[in-house]
Amino acid sequence: MVSVPRATRLALTAALGLSTWVGAAAAHSGGLAGSARDSLAVPTWLFLLTGGGVVSVSFLLASFVTDRGLVAAVHDWGRPLPGPGRLLRTLVRLAGVGVLALTLAVGFLDRASGVRNLAILVVWVAWWGGYVASTYLLGNSWPTLNPFRTLAEALPSLDRPYPDRIGSWPSVAGLLLLVWIEVATPLADDPRLLASVLSAYTIVTVAGAVVVGADVWFERADPLARTFRYYGHLAPVGVEDGRLRLRLPGGALPDTVLDGRDDVAFVVTLLFVTTYDGFVATAPWASGARAVVDAGVPPVAVYLGAYLLGAGLFYLAYRVSARLGRGRAETYLSAGYLARRFAPSLLPIAAGYHLAHNLASVLVLSPTLVAVAASPLAPPPSPPQLAGLPAWFGGLELACVLLGHLLAVWVAHATAYDLFPSRLQAVRSQYGVTAVMVGYTMLSLWIVAEPYVTPPFIAT
Amino acid sequence: MTESDTDVPPDATPHVCEHCGRPFTRERYLALHRGLDHAAALSDDERAAYETAHDAETDDLRRFRLLALAGVVALYFGFLMTYAVVT
Repeated sequence: MVSVPRATRLALTAALGLSTWVGAAAAHSGGLAGSARDSLAVPTWLFLLTGGGVVSVSFLLASFVTDRGLVAAVHDWGRPLPGPGRLLRTLVRLAGVGVLALTLAVGFLDRASGVRNLAILVVWVAWWGGYVASTYLLGNSWPTLNPFRTLAEALPSLDRPYPDRIGSWPSVAGLLLLVWIEVATPLADDPRLLASVLSAYTIVTVAGAVVVGADVWFERADPLARTFRYYGHLAPVGVEDGRLRLRLPGGALPDTVLDGRDDVAFVVTLLFVTTYDGFVATAPWASGARAVVDAGVPPVAVYLGAYLLGAGLFYLAYRVSARLGRGRAETYLSAGYLARRFAPSLLPIAAGYHLAHNLASVLVLSPTLVAVAASPLAPPPSPPQLAGLPAWFGGLELACVLLGHLLAVWVAHATAYDLFPSRLQAVRSQYGVTAVMVGYTMLSLWIVAEPYVTPPFIAT
Repeated sequence: MTESDTDVPPDATPHVCEHCGRPFTRERYLALHRGLDHAAALSDDERAAYETAHDAETDDLRRFRLLALAGVVALYFGFLMTYAVVT
C-alpha cells in the first residue's frame, strides 16, 4: 500500500508541475479579460482541453489521498480568534451607513461620469472588486458592515411571518435581476443611474427587513447578504458557535449542507452570472444575437431569453450530475441530498473567477479612488491610474482561476469522504460533480480565450 | 441526515443501520458505516465484519489507484505529445 505522505507529496508535486505548465501556456494569452486570440501560442481547442485535463488530473490525484484521518484533520484544523469589540463593530456599522449616504449623494449630485465619479469608484472598485474579495479571502464582515441592515434595525420591525413555501427563491430572482441590470444598462458609467438603482435596492431591502425582520430577510431573501455568507464559508476566518475562528481556506465547506434546492439554485446561479457576463462579450454571441434580431426578435428578448435559458441549463446540468453521482456511488442517499452536499464545492470556482475578473481593475483604479475621494465633487480632470500591469499578471489571474478549481476538487473529495463509508463509493460519487467542473472549466476558458467584442444592442 | 435525504426504491431490500436508520445498498457498506460512525457500539461480530470489509475495500482501492495512475500517465503523455506536435 502506498503510504499517505508519499501519495500526498506525489499529488502536490504533480499538481504544482501541471499548474505552472498550464500557466506558462496560457500566459501567452495575455490578460484574462479580452485577450486576443492571435497572441495565443497554442490553438484554442488545445488550450481548452488542457484546462479540462488539469481538473481531471487533480481529481485523479485527490483520489490518491485515501486516509480518512488525514482528510478530516485538514478540515478540522482551527484556532480560536479574539472577537472584535463593541466599539469597533459600532464604528464599522456607522462607516457602512456613511459610505452608502456619500455614494448616493455623489451619485445624484456629481456630474462627472465613469471613473471620475466617486459613486462609481466606490461601488465597482472598492466594494464589488475589493470588498467582495475580502469576504472569501479574509472573512464575511457583511453582517456587521451591511448599511441596509443597520438602517432596518434602527426601525421598528413588523415581524410578519416569512412565507416558507417560497423558501430562498426570492434571493435567486434578486441575484438574477441585479446582474441583469448590470449587464443590460450602463451601470458602470452613469452615476445617476447607479444611484437610482442603489436607492431602489435600499428601499426594497429596508422595507423587506422591516416587514419580516432583519434576521429572516438577510438570511433568506437578500441576494447580497446570501452571496457574502456563502463566500464567507470559504474564508479562513469564520464564526463557529458564536466565536471567531481561524481555519484553512475552504475548511468549512465539506461540512456545509445547503437547506434545499433553492439554495443549490442560488450557488449555481452565482456561478452562472459570472459566465454570462463574459459570454455576451464574445464574437459568436454577437453574430448569433445579430442574426436572431434580424429575424425580428427584440434585442431585450434575445438577451433575457439567453440569460434565463442559460441559468436554467446550468441548474439542470448540475442536477443531472448529482443523479449521475448517485447512480455511480450505489447509494440510497437521494440525488437532492447529494446536490445539496456537493454544491458548496462550486463556491471556490466562483470566487476564483471573481478574483481573476476584478484584481486588475482594483489595482489599476485604486490610485484613482484615492484621488477622487480627496475631492468628490470636483474630481481632477484626469485622475491618476496605475500605468500598467506587468506581463506576468495574466498568468496570476489564470492562477486564481486554477487555484479555485483545485480547491473545488479537494472540497468535493472531502465532502464525499464525509458522506460515504466506502472510500471507493466516495471516489465514484464525485464523477458527476467532476464532469460538471471539467465542462465548466472548458466553457469559461473558451470565454477567456475569445477576443472581447462589445455586446451589440445594449448600452454598455 | 433525515428520512427525506434518502430515496430507497420500493422494490429494494436495503441494509438498514440499527443505530441511525441509514439504508445501504450493500451489507459491506453497512459494515464499514458501523465501524466508522458507531465504533463505540460494535459487537465482536460487527468488528470482524468491519475489518473484513475494510480489507476488501483496501484491495479494491489498490486496483483503483493503479487505474488512476495509468489515467494520470496517459493524460500527461497525451498532452506532452499533443503539445510537441501542435506547437
